[in-house]
Amino acid sequence: MSTLIMIDQAPYGAWTGREALDMAFSLAAFDQPASLFFTGAGVNWLRQNQEAGGIGQKSVEKNLSAAPIFGIEAILADRAACETYGLDENSLIEGVTLVDADAALLNDYDHTAFAG
Amino acid sequence: MAETASETFTLVITGAPYSSQAPQTALGFAQAAVTAGHRIDRVFLYGDGVHLASALSAPPSDETNWSEEWSRFLSEHSVPGVACIASALRRGLVNETEQKRYELPAANLRTPFEIAGLGEWVEGRIKSTRTLYFHAGD
Repeated sequence: MSTLIMIDQAPYGAWTGREALDMAFSLAAFDQPASLFFTGAGVNWLRQNQEAGGIGQKSVEKNLSAAPIFGIEAILADRAACETYGLDENSLIEGVTLVDADAALLNDYDHTAFAG
Repeated sequence: MAETASETFTLVITGAPYSSQAPQTALGFAQAAVTAGHRIDRVFLYGDGVHLASALSAPPSDETNWSEEWSRFLSEHSVPGVACIASALRRGLVNETEQKRYELPAANLRTPFEIAGLGEWVEGRIKSTRTLYFHAGD
């Protein structure tokens, strides 16, 4: 039963993205196949060199770089959303696969879930 | 009308009462499902949804107390109600065990809710025939 965890909100403004990440990590911890999909403003999670200290938060980059170690199968980003936010392979963190957000993508998974 | 097969549900509530409609939509669904002969395996509160498990919410008397309504439903139908421990601790929802562990001045988890990890959600997804999410929608 493979699951695609969707993150569609920018980091730092809301807590749901972090909670979505915890959901994905939890699935992986129980040997349930899980991947992350960033779309809309959520693709900003994948921007290099985030400095969240100024607003009293920890950068989400470290959490994301741990994803493969925790057994997350793939980190996927909506190609069109990345273009909207000016993100390309030079500004994205490592290990991100650009995909088209279409029915074919969702067909690869049994379930999708948002944290909120 | 052909009789439909019986389903078992895990319900995930991520929207808080009084700031979202999620808890009452979920309760309406749960009541309808049970009436139709289906079973609710468990209810998992995540994110802001954990506020539903507060024993201290005291809305005006002419408004529905959604925490109380949900507690009654869970007790009547012997459905486990689980608040995610990480979400709950961050938001000040604790039972007596966590109160002692973190040396907090009070415990406020409403009976019969329990506190446990995301593993409860993972297990629910595996065991139930369907998992439904009730979000705040913002």
